[in-house]
Amino acid sequence: MDSPLSPSSARKEAGMFLTLILLLSGRSQRAMAAQRQQGVECIVFNDEYLTCMWGSKEMPTANYSLYYWYIPPRTENHMPVECKHYLQEEGINTGCWFNHSEIIQFRTFYIHINATHEGRSLVIPTKAMKLQDLVKPAPPVNLTIQNISNNQLQLTWDSMYNKPRCLEYAVRYKSNKDTRWTEHLASGKIFSFPSVDYEKYYTFYVKSKINQYCGTTQLWSEWSVPVFWGNNATDKGVAEKQAPWFWIHVVLPTASLMLILVLVILLIRMERVWVIFMPRIPNPSKNFDELFNTHQGNFPEWAGVSKDVVESFKPNYNESFCHVSELPPKEGSSPLWGGRDKPRAPPGRSSAPASSSSPGLILSKKSYVGV
Amino acid sequence: MFHVFFRSVFGILPLFIVLLPVNSSTCVMENTTVIREKYENILSHDIELLENMSEEYRDRCCRNKRHENPSAFFCNDSQEIRSLQNMACDMLKFFYKKKINKDFRWQTARVSCMTLEILHCRCDRESKNRKVCILLTQPSKDTLEAQSPKKKCCQELCELKETIASLRSCWNKFEKEIAR
Repeated sequence: MDSPLSPSSARKEAGMFLTLILLLSGRSQRAMAAQRQQGVECIVFNDEYLTCMWGSKEMPTANYSLYYWYIPPRTENHMPVECKHYLQEEGINTGCWFNHSEIIQFRTFYIHINATHEGRSLVIPTKAMKLQDLVKPAPPVNLTIQNISNNQLQLTWDSMYNKPRCLEYAVRYKSNKDTRWTEHLASGKIFSFPSVDYEKYYTFYVKSKINQYCGTTQLWSEWSVPVFWGNNATDKGVAEKQAPWFWIHVVLPTASLMLILVLVILLIRMERVWVIFMPRIPNPSKNFDELFNTHQGNFPEWAGVSKDVVESFKPNYNESFCHVSELPPKEGSSPLWGGRDKPRAPPGRSSAPASSSSPGLILSKKSYVGV
Repeated sequence: MFHVFFRSVFGILPLFIVLLPVNSSTCVMENTTVIREKYENILSHDIELLENMSEEYRDRCCRNKRHENPSAFFCNDSQEIRSLQNMACDMLKFFYKKKINKDFRWQTARVSCMTLEILHCRCDRESKNRKVCILLTQPSKDTLEAQSPKKKCCQELCELKETIASLRSCWNKFEKEIAR
């Protein structure tokens, strides 16, 4: 393998090649900026495997290959080895995966990346690394809380890292009444919480990092699965949250219903109160007892209306008229109408025979048949 | 008579060879647990201080020299103690380099001597470097010669920075090996 290009010429070459690639592939200026800013990031995960990532799908389309070597052996004797397991994104090599046997710590680790496109190749500047300073341990597991003494808790955990003596830890905790997290460092797999409030509900997390004695790194592991504590860790906290709900949704409605029921019963039993809300409807039936009981509903009889008036209201009422006429005067006095002129009877009326001629009024009954 | 002469001469030579001071110094085996405790509780803080002092000096002059011979400060596998001894003895030579800051030289010598003490090792008997650790026991730093006027680049400083980094890395390797 040829030696790496000098930095200045490598930069010029990189610039020319990138321009060519971008012109050919039609990528935007944004991709150029992304390529310039991106470096190679290597992380050793829990001393088990190593990944070196140099790009993403936004990179120009090219064939990328990675070569690595360690020093010692001496510079002129090293033999670069190509990556055996590439990591790809949409068909483009964006990283390399190394297994445990390919990782050697406490030797200088060199990589360089070839970008090949249409027969032209470009070497991305190399980078020397110390893998012992790039170790990211696995998060702690099996978090356990114990009650030591009065108001004192002890948090313990295990580590998946094969050299736990090389680790330091950070504990993060918060109660349900706190708004911010509190962090403490711990050198061993134990943390004592001096004063705990039994009325509160606590949450604990732990993470780990290679300590200063075994390396120089700032890579913390991910936070562990949390552990909870708070007087029956799941019940008290939940019970406290359920208490207001219980009061609002159960006790209050029940008490209200009971109160309403008592008031209703009181209303019913206390007539003088009931009357206020439900005034009595007047009952005139007593005044009509005689009508219904004595006269069997005969209203005219009960009211004292005469029979004639009652009869007059009948539809076939036939009233007889009482015709009053004046008798002709005696001799010496002329009759009012003459001998032949007899008063005509009104139509529809039957005339009654004349009564004896005697001076004075003559009454004759004639019936009127109402239509 | 001649064979007596030759016998006496050639017989003594192997004896001289055996009795001659060896260039590589010796270490007395020490319990790794004791070494670890002393390193973590005492030496690690001095190494950290020395690294901080080293970072104060810009390494513009040191870039061209970085890849020349990095294996010179290599921490051999399964020979961490021997490698630490070699680095510590090598660092003692900077004690008399006037181009380097006085306090920086003093702290460098302190770390070297503490390393040798913890590992129960010593440097070459005839080397004047051994006297450095004796000088460190004196309370004042007047034994150190004053620093010469600063120059833009100091290759000795670059070499010292490399050695300090290698010493720190070798201690890390030792700790990781015994942490199993």
